[in-house]
Amino acid sequence: MAQSRRGQLWQGGRESRATLILLLPWLLSFVVFWAYPFFYSLYLSFTQFSGFGTPEWTGLSNYLALLNDNDFITSVRNTIVFAAGTIPATTVFGLGLALLVNGNVGWRGFYRAGFFLPSVTSMVVIALVFQILYSRGGYLYLLARSVGLPVPENGFLLSTSTALPAIMAMDVWVFSGYYMVFFLAGLQAIPAEYYEHARLEGATFWQRLRHVTLPLLRPIMLFVVVVNTIKTLQVFVEIFIMTKGGPLNSTMTVVYDLYETGLRKFRMGYASAMAYVLFVIIMALALLQMKVMRSEEEVQG
Amino acid sequence: MKMGVDWKQGTLRVALTVLLLANLFPLFWMLAVSLERGSTLIAGLADLWPEQPSLRNYLEMWQSGPFGRYFLNSFVVAAGVTAGNLVFCTMAGYAFARRRFPLKRTAFGMTLATMMLPAQIIMVPLYVLIVKLGWFNTYWALIVPWLVNPFGVFLMKQYIQSLPVETEQAARIDGASELQVLWYVVAPLARPALVVLLIYVFMSHWNSFLFPFLFTNEDAMRTLPVGLAFYQGQYSIDWPHLMAGSATMALPMIGLFLIFQRQIIAGLTAGAVKG
Repeated sequence: MAQSRRGQLWQGGRESRATLILLLPWLLSFVVFWAYPFFYSLYLSFTQFSGFGTPEWTGLSNYLALLNDNDFITSVRNTIVFAAGTIPATTVFGLGLALLVNGNVGWRGFYRAGFFLPSVTSMVVIALVFQILYSRGGYLYLLARSVGLPVPENGFLLSTSTALPAIMAMDVWVFSGYYMVFFLAGLQAIPAEYYEHARLEGATFWQRLRHVTLPLLRPIMLFVVVVNTIKTLQVFVEIFIMTKGGPLNSTMTVVYDLYETGLRKFRMGYASAMAYVLFVIIMALALLQMKVMRSEEEVQG
Repeated sequence: MKMGVDWKQGTLRVALTVLLLANLFPLFWMLAVSLERGSTLIAGLADLWPEQPSLRNYLEMWQSGPFGRYFLNSFVVAAGVTAGNLVFCTMAGYAFARRRFPLKRTAFGMTLATMMLPAQIIMVPLYVLIVKLGWFNTYWALIVPWLVNPFGVFLMKQYIQSLPVETEQAARIDGASELQVLWYVVAPLARPALVVLLIYVFMSHWNSFLFPFLFTNEDAMRTLPVGLAFYQGQYSIDWPHLMAGSATMALPMIGLFLIFQRQIIAGLTAGAVKG
């Protein structure tokens, strides 16, 4: 019997059969339910397909049509606004909450659980609750009105100027606590000596934050921002439950448009092209973020 | 000495409590509405808590048509997916942690990549596949595609890798086959990771909306999130019942979370902190 390091034995045929059995479920699942749909979707994006019969090859015409599709352009814009609005807010609040909870307060576990709690419930439940809260008789609406804020007549979700911001605010509310937990873990991982040193040199809170904490939190920050980007650019459930893309397409996002086009209007080739456009945007942004963060890390030394 | 704001403990407590109340307010509100008797919304800011709270809405939801069925479906689906993942992710995780095979790095990299893959890419083709397989409106569609969660594979691989290898080697020297080593030696030692995996997968699928929604159109096969989403379409003013249904769906998850919070958070942050 040959023995390699890390205790991995090699006995020939019997061993490789065992490995195959171990990997088989994963392999099957990966190939059939991820890889195949992924490439089939790419193929479909170059065709016209209604779900019945066979797809008809149309080359780049779907992608070209998307460039001129006002509804799609609107949905891309809304999606980007949604992401650009929620990601910084969620990240900043998440970090802020983590700094607060990590202060000298005791009951850390209690606060951590409390802030994380909303993210444990389904987005469906949250969307339903907020739908009432935002409606004309709803508590948040009444609260805003009683404080004197200008509110649209029929609740926040039925006005083109407030519908998307209202959904964005809800998302920030849910996920600030979620990402707070990641920042807390990151803050815990920073060795205390750095702070002792900074304290001895008379650094203020903000100086410590900028020069010690933020640089050392970079991996977590990267993780949070990338995950947040990928998730928010795919926003769908909230839209489906609360506004169905309305009013007047002001909350239409790419995935919602994709859903309607592909699975309601059965224009699957066109919808697949939409999916890939969004995919390229998401991957480009994620890679860009990783690159920016990594090169900053090198500059820091 | 750790990184946190410098405030006095009292101020901090007050600030955090206020923020926490604001954060949990919508959930409290959901409970309050679910206990309402009538089906009218509150008239003003003062009507926060119902005058005569009653559990009537909860009873009525259970007795009314499909709600019980939604609950059953959610449970069957979540339990089925979880059971599968516990077995299959451990198998794959063990293979990645301990076995040698060609292209191992690439394969693991692809697994990680699928974690980041946006679901919308596979929405349409998966739908076509499900229909072609005849799985539309069945448990198969709701369970089978999700039996090997990439995050689960990642989790198990990381944990198994951190176990001391001597125990397994001893078992092998005693003549155990690979599968026996996995079942009798590794799995018991990996219990903490299995707990995290169980909770994580169960909760994700209990709360999941998109694919259960896409793959069913019959009430009898809908899960709780999907059923609730459609309930509001039918009876658009009946918020108390809807909130009772929502609370029924949310409370078990909240309970699970409160019990297992340390494990859940440890599992989630394991990926992030290690970069």
